[in-house]
This record gives sequence, structure tokens and C-alpha cells, in this order.
Amino acid sequence: MKFYYFHLMPYIIDHDEPSSWVTLSNRHYDPALGHTLYNQYLDQLEAAERLGWDGLCVNEHHQNCYGTMPSPNVMAAMLVRRTSRAKIAILGNGLPLRENPLRIAEEIAMLDVASGGRVISGFVRGISAEYFSTAVNPTHSRERFYEAAELILRAWTEEGPFPFDGRYYRYPYVNPWPRPLQKPHPPVWCPSQGSSETVEWAAKRRFPYLMVFTPITRIAQIYGEYREACERHGYQASRYQLTVNVPIVVAENDAKARALAEKHVMWVFNVGLRMHPPFWRPPGYMTEASLRRLLANPPKPPSELGFEEADREGYLIYGSPATVRDKLRVFSDELKAGILCSGMTGPSHEQTLEMMQLFAEQVMPHFREDARVDETVGVGR
Amino acid sequence: MPALRELSIRGTLVHMLQDGAGSPLLFLHGAGGGGRWLDFQTQLAKAFSVYSPSHPGHGGSPAAEWIEHVSDLAFHYLDLLDALELERAHLVGASFGGWIAAEIATMASHRLASLVLIDPVGIRVDGWIYPFLFAMDIPEIVTTVFHNPMAALALAPPDQSAETLALQYRQGTAIARVAWNPHLYDPLLRRRLGRIATPTLVCWGAHDRLAPLAPCGETWAREIPGARLRVFADSGHVPHLEEPDAVATAVREFCRLHGGLR
Repeated sequence: MKFYYFHLMPYIIDHDEPSSWVTLSNRHYDPALGHTLYNQYLDQLEAAERLGWDGLCVNEHHQNCYGTMPSPNVMAAMLVRRTSRAKIAILGNGLPLRENPLRIAEEIAMLDVASGGRVISGFVRGISAEYFSTAVNPTHSRERFYEAAELILRAWTEEGPFPFDGRYYRYPYVNPWPRPLQKPHPPVWCPSQGSSETVEWAAKRRFPYLMVFTPITRIAQIYGEYREACERHGYQASRYQLTVNVPIVVAENDAKARALAEKHVMWVFNVGLRMHPPFWRPPGYMTEASLRRLLANPPKPPSELGFEEADREGYLIYGSPATVRDKLRVFSDELKAGILCSGMTGPSHEQTLEMMQLFAEQVMPHFREDARVDETVGVGR
Repeated sequence: MPALRELSIRGTLVHMLQDGAGSPLLFLHGAGGGGRWLDFQTQLAKAFSVYSPSHPGHGGSPAAEWIEHVSDLAFHYLDLLDALELERAHLVGASFGGWIAAEIATMASHRLASLVLIDPVGIRVDGWIYPFLFAMDIPEIVTTVFHNPMAALALAPPDQSAETLALQYRQGTAIARVAWNPHLYDPLLRRRLGRIATPTLVCWGAHDRLAPLAPCGETWAREIPGARLRVFADSGHVPHLEEPDAVATAVREFCRLHGGLR
């Protein structure tokens, strides 16, 4: 199994406002504290490379305390020069949110060239709330996503200049300098929430599918659909196309880990993902078919998720190193996920670093039968 | 009881309710309406032959992917007039339907015997930003749109079934497609209002909190040549639902005195 260290870069506060997204006033944001947090978080990502993680992950979210990386490419740029081995996975850029997605092709190519070909480029639509923050029309989201993805992939792989004339994006000259180093282009991943349309789109292109903060039975279901779609397209999914992001807390013993998880992981669900209900479901963001699928089995809002339920449903992993190993076996052996993209959350920067070290020394080595395999060969392109 | 008609307008299926006798009147409903025959239409049908189509994606009319702009809806209803072989008709539009009606009038006033706009949205008004409808939950929508919340019951969904929720989502999607950004207006429309060359009545709820009388209603009345402004004292954004008899009476009187058709 491959291990990628995923950071949300949260701004952890308790507040009484009805939404942690879009409308949570930025008067709550203290830039001096933000300076400390950014630097600690970047230190953690750099430490992850030293401790043996295979990749470092950043991501894009807007106007919230859940994740303070409106531009993941900026964070990736900082990591490029402070690391030398690990992959740098941007999970991902919100393609439809950009008025000029050619800029994404340019920025990813810059990072790929500067890093010596270590970049993985996630393509996402952005979660529902981003459409309120950016004012992009959610009814255009899916078409803009497909069109921007096509533009970026062509910009990376076809010799320029060429014209591009889409419904949302039009250019007389597509000809970005630089071109990416990796051939034919940096691997593309699809972090998603499991819409059948995205599963199909990703499987067709061999783009790895990443499930974020999802109950384990749903992961199993979506992985099944993804594998089936791959077979329909005439190939077997590599295990490195099946990726999962599940928060992990590891401590000397189960009781201590549980106490930390109850406090820190549950903040992500209960506060970080607290959202004014209309922000969850902007009109037209999903197809009517996806809506009906959702209504048939409506998920609980994360803010109402209790610890016992989160534990039972497999929203998180916590425990002693031995317990965490056992729980991870479900992902590696039963779900056959090839890449674990998880972050650690401790009560302080120092304790987070200790937790990372414990995981690197007592969990990771038990899953390293594929240590010499390059997970990106033939995957994501 | 109104008759339900299903028409194909240049390939787009339209569900339309129709009742009454007299000169033809096309009524364009607001966001979240459609498929309903309410007191307002019943009152109008006493004096007019009322045509009440559901916008694409509303009521029984399926969504139409080709609609990208409110002017597409305006052309759609000009096509409907052609299909019904109505050379001229009275046009009444409420809220979002008023926006479509105003676009139609800027394009083809010669097809209109008169124009009645009831608290329309659709233009950029100096000194006013429409509160963002798509971020409101149901209670917020009711307090923003209605001065008399009891009137909201007429639009209340029958249940919370998947079918009802899917319809609401389809309606919201149809509106968002043309009204998310810019929110509830067409930047080009305000200047074009000067082209309207049909007798126009602008009806406004005194307590409209989505598009207040000052400055919104006053701007509309000023921009449309010769328009009359009529204020309804006990209404919010939807006087035709809040004071249906008074608004229907005002429409009838206006059409009788000023309209180009009897």
C-alpha cells in the first residue's frame, strides 16, 4: 500500500454560527495565528516525506474554517522546493470554478517541471458550497468540468498553438509554456463523492478515484461500480486507481486514541462541515438521477454525526498501532485500496508530529510489500 | 375547472392550463409556481380567455436544456403565441414571469394588447441588490416573499415525497440556469425597457422585501414609457397571491380602459 499525507489545513475554532462555510465571518480569522498554522502545517507535510510517506496532498476550498487553502497550487509550490522525493498531489483544482482554466494547465505544468515530475493533478468540481463562494452557476458545473478537463489535457499533450472553441471556454491560441515534464501528462486523479457520472468518466480514462470521508459500505459500493466501469472499458482497475481518505488517530493505546479522535476528528465533521442546509444542495449541481439516488438513501449531515456512529460506519480509524493495523487491513485486503491518503490530527503541532512518527514506525512498515512499485505507472493517464 | 393542454412548441413540451372566455390573456408565473390554477387565474378567467403555461422545468413541463438565458424563454412564449395563433394578447407576468414578460415586450410590443408586471425582477436597480434566493431555506423564502404568510400555503408542496422534492429541484435548477449570476437580472434589459410600446401597468406589493417598491418598483415605472404604477398595501412580493381579487380587478380595469383588445 502507498501512503499519502493529506492536509486540510483547518482553522480550528468553535463558533455558534449556523454555517462554517460561505457565511462564517472572516472576522474569526486571525492572520497572526494563521501564520503559525500555515508554517506548522507545511512542517508536517515536509516531515511526512522524511518519515516515509510516498506523497503529500493539498486541496482547494473557499471561505470556510474547514480547510484554508483557496489556492492549492500555492501550497504545492512551497512544497516543491522543500521536498525532493515525495509525490505532490493537488486534490484537486476546482476546474469549473475557474473562469480561465488554461491557468490550471499552466500552473500544474510549472509545478511539474520545477519538481522534476512529482506532481499529481486532481480534477474536482468543488463541493456544493464553493458555488456560493465563487458565484459560478452550479447548473453549469458538470459541463464546465468536462470541458475544462478536455482543454487542460489537450493543452498538456498537443503541440500548440491550437484554437479551442467550447461552450464555456474559448481560446484562439492554446499554447502554454511550460509543458509538463511527465509524459504524456501528470497523473490525473478524481476525488469525488460517488456520483455515477464521475465514476464512469474517471474509469474510462484510468483516472484514480478517491473517496473522501465516506462510510465504508459506500466506499465498497462505489469501488465496485468503478471496477465494473473499468471492465466495461476493457481493462482491470489497478489497485492504485482505488484511493481512500480516512482520518487516522494513532496513540499508545486505544483509549487514548479514542479520546483524541472524539475531540479532533469529530471537529472536522461536526464543526468543519457544519453547513447552512441550502449550501449542501445548490440547484443543478447534481443530475436529477443523482438526486433521486441520494433521496432514496439520504445521508446524515456531518454536523449531526455522533462519534459512535462515525466509528461504527468507518468514517475514521483510531487506536493503538496494532488496532490501526487491523483496521487498515480492511482497506488494503478487503476493499483493495492501493493508496491511503490520510492526515493525522493531534492536539498540538508537536503531538501531531509524534503521532506521525508512531504511524510511520509501527503501522506503515506492515503494508510495504509494494515498496518498490511506482504507483503512477499506467495510472491517471 | 381549467383544461390541461399539452403542446409541443418547436420541440419543447409545454403543460398549459386554460379556462375562461374573452380576449386572450397569457399569464406567466413566478419561480416555484406553475401547474396551479389559483384564485387569481379564476378571477381573470371571468373576463379573459386565460392561458397559463408552466415554464420549462416547472409543473408538468419538462426541463429544456436549450434554455440558457431569459430571452430564450421570451422567444419560447412568442413561439407559443404563434402556435396558439394569437396575433395579439394581454400579457401578465409575476416576479420571474414578469421578467420574461418584460423581455417579450422589448422584443415584440406589437404582439401585446397590454402588459401587466407584478413585482417583476429582471433589471439591475441602482441602490438595490436582490437577497440571494438560492441560499434561503423555506422559512427564509416565506418571510422574504410574503407579507401575508398564509398566502404561501397556496404554493406549499403537497408532501415531502421523492417526486415532490425532485420537482422542486428541477424548478430551482430551471431558475438557476438563467438567474444565478447575475442574480435575478439581465444586465441588458433595463436600457431596453424604453422600447416597450404597449400600455403597461406595474403592480407592486407595498411590503416587497425581495424587490422593494423603492427603488425597484419606482425604477420599473420610470423606465417603461407611460407605465402606471399601482401599489397593493397588504402585499409583499406576490400581490396576485396575497390580494388576488384586488389585483385581478386592477388587471381587468386596466385592460378595459387602456388595452388594445376588448
